[in-house]
Amino acid sequence: MSLNSLERTIDKVLSQKESTLISEIDSALQNSLKNLESSKSSLQVEYDSIIESSKKQAENLKRQIIGSSTLNARNKELVIIESAIDEIFIMAKEKLAKSNNEKNYEKLLTRLIQDSSAKLGSEIVIQCNKTDLNLVKKLVSQESSNRKSKITVSNEVVDIIGGIKAASVDGTMSLDNTLDSNIETLKPLIRKRIVQLLRGENK
Amino acid sequence: MVVDGVTTASFDELVEIETNEGERRLGKVLEVGSGKAVVQVFEGTTGLAITGTRVKFLGKTMAMPVSQELLGRVFDGLGRPNDGLPDPVADKFLDVNGEPMNPQSREYPTSFIQTGVSVIDGMLTLVRGQKLPIFSGSGMSHNILAAQIARQATVVGTNEDFAVVFAAIGVQYSEAQYFKRSLEESGALKRSVLFVNLADDPAIERIITPRVALTVAEYLAFDLGMHVLALLTDMTNYAEALREISAAREEVPGRKGYPGYLYTDLANNYERAGRIKGKNGSVTQMPILSMPADDITHPIPDLTGYITEGQVVLGRDLFRKGIYPPVNVMMSLSRLMKDGVGEGKTRSDHMEVGNQLYDAYSRAQEVRALAEIVGKAGLTGVDLKYLDAGDSFETHFLKQSPDENRNLDETLSRAWDILATLPEGELTKIKDKHIQQYYKGNK
Repeated sequence: MSLNSLERTIDKVLSQKESTLISEIDSALQNSLKNLESSKSSLQVEYDSIIESSKKQAENLKRQIIGSSTLNARNKELVIIESAIDEIFIMAKEKLAKSNNEKNYEKLLTRLIQDSSAKLGSEIVIQCNKTDLNLVKKLVSQESSNRKSKITVSNEVVDIIGGIKAASVDGTMSLDNTLDSNIETLKPLIRKRIVQLLRGENK
Repeated sequence: MVVDGVTTASFDELVEIETNEGERRLGKVLEVGSGKAVVQVFEGTTGLAITGTRVKFLGKTMAMPVSQELLGRVFDGLGRPNDGLPDPVADKFLDVNGEPMNPQSREYPTSFIQTGVSVIDGMLTLVRGQKLPIFSGSGMSHNILAAQIARQATVVGTNEDFAVVFAAIGVQYSEAQYFKRSLEESGALKRSVLFVNLADDPAIERIITPRVALTVAEYLAFDLGMHVLALLTDMTNYAEALREISAAREEVPGRKGYPGYLYTDLANNYERAGRIKGKNGSVTQMPILSMPADDITHPIPDLTGYITEGQVVLGRDLFRKGIYPPVNVMMSLSRLMKDGVGEGKTRSDHMEVGNQLYDAYSRAQEVRALAEIVGKAGLTGVDLKYLDAGDSFETHFLKQSPDENRNLDETLSRAWDILATLPEGELTKIKDKHIQQYYKGNK
């Protein structure tokens, strides 16, 4: 092969290689641009999903904060109301303890003695507080003569604000007819009324 | 506990027991006769002396104080505050046994409740007033699912109030804490009432818990007009407590030692769901029960299935594959779904998409079984597409995170993504107009 033809061949190979390389570079460039373009859209999707999930999280967090704050405030209100209720009950009990001179109280004690006798039988033992002892003895003697029942008043006084504690003679049955116990029984209803008053509701 | 010399006590009457130390406990009369009363003590009889213990018959059955203030509160299994706060101020006191709903005044449930769980909303839709139990197995994720539903459930598109009454029956302390924390952290506690009966509480308390919870649910629904979702987990513990008490009373045992009246007793609880004509609210029930040994023929799921309107069954295979929620849709069904979805209620394609998903997943299961024998190479092109659709159903639709709340549009969009893997001609359950509108595959 002559030198010229060798040079021509080399030139041809070089030119072919050059064009191949240029086309490969072009195609790589096109691919890169395409990849960049598709990445852009996938990045946008990714970005949108992150934003969307952040918004959801923020919404959840907001709901959570508002929810727990409302609840905490409500719970604090409940505690405050409860302490006010307790105070009201203490005051009411103190007032009741001082009311044993009133006419109504005598009627109430008579009713409680009759009720105890009706429930536990004609032979019962009654206990009351120190202040009421004489009054209860007087009422029991009236009641015993009226109904021919055998009611004994125990000299052992109990620490109650008012009313009586009754028991059958053998001690197997007892009836707590004290004001303390009646207040406890009615407490849920009284509490409701107190709360209504505290909240300014007029039901 | 047997009390002698009793003449006027009544069945189910509440009893107060005072110990020698002055401690007070509650109980109820189980049997009366011959001057004796059998009393079951709620807190247990440990520490009660034969002499000196006093018993007071209260002349009333157990009542629950109810008011709107119960929302956001946590109670024990008997309805006593368990959150360190005072007793709720009661609007009224309701007998925990409730009153049977007059069948004539029942209204047919037709409104959708969104749980945010794709498989339930999309294929096993819960309807207001429905009773839809979840049948699970020991150790499966039913409690996580229950808590997720409690957090996420809502009535879409109305301003009507929604509340959740959650009764945890015979659960472990850690589970109880999980429920409480889950509701607190999501901010859902303010619209919820939580009753927690722990596994170490006496059996009789477990009998009361669902009754107390349903009493509150009924009050919120029919007195305050709220839509209430009552979640009761785990009813298996309830039934076991019933068996324990029945055995103690020496009653003739029925299947697997459960009392013969198990069906009646379960129905007494489950039937306290529904809507009432002329009243706004509704009580929707999702009782959750773990099937002993995953046995769906066990008396508890068996009898529950007769009473309720469908069931959501959790599958052990899916659970083992790490899929949450592991709902086995082929075993599950919501009987009232057809009445609660569609045009004007959810979306016009909802029912058809649900049916098509059932069809596709069922076919995928068949193809999976076939592929086990002949290998994938032996499958047709369409079969391979069903195989993909089955996988996609489990990973893209069924599987979701316990804190992921998907709305119905998202759920249906995911469903259409799965259907897009199938050729259009395979969508035989869906009307052409919906295919035109929503189908994302190659046409």
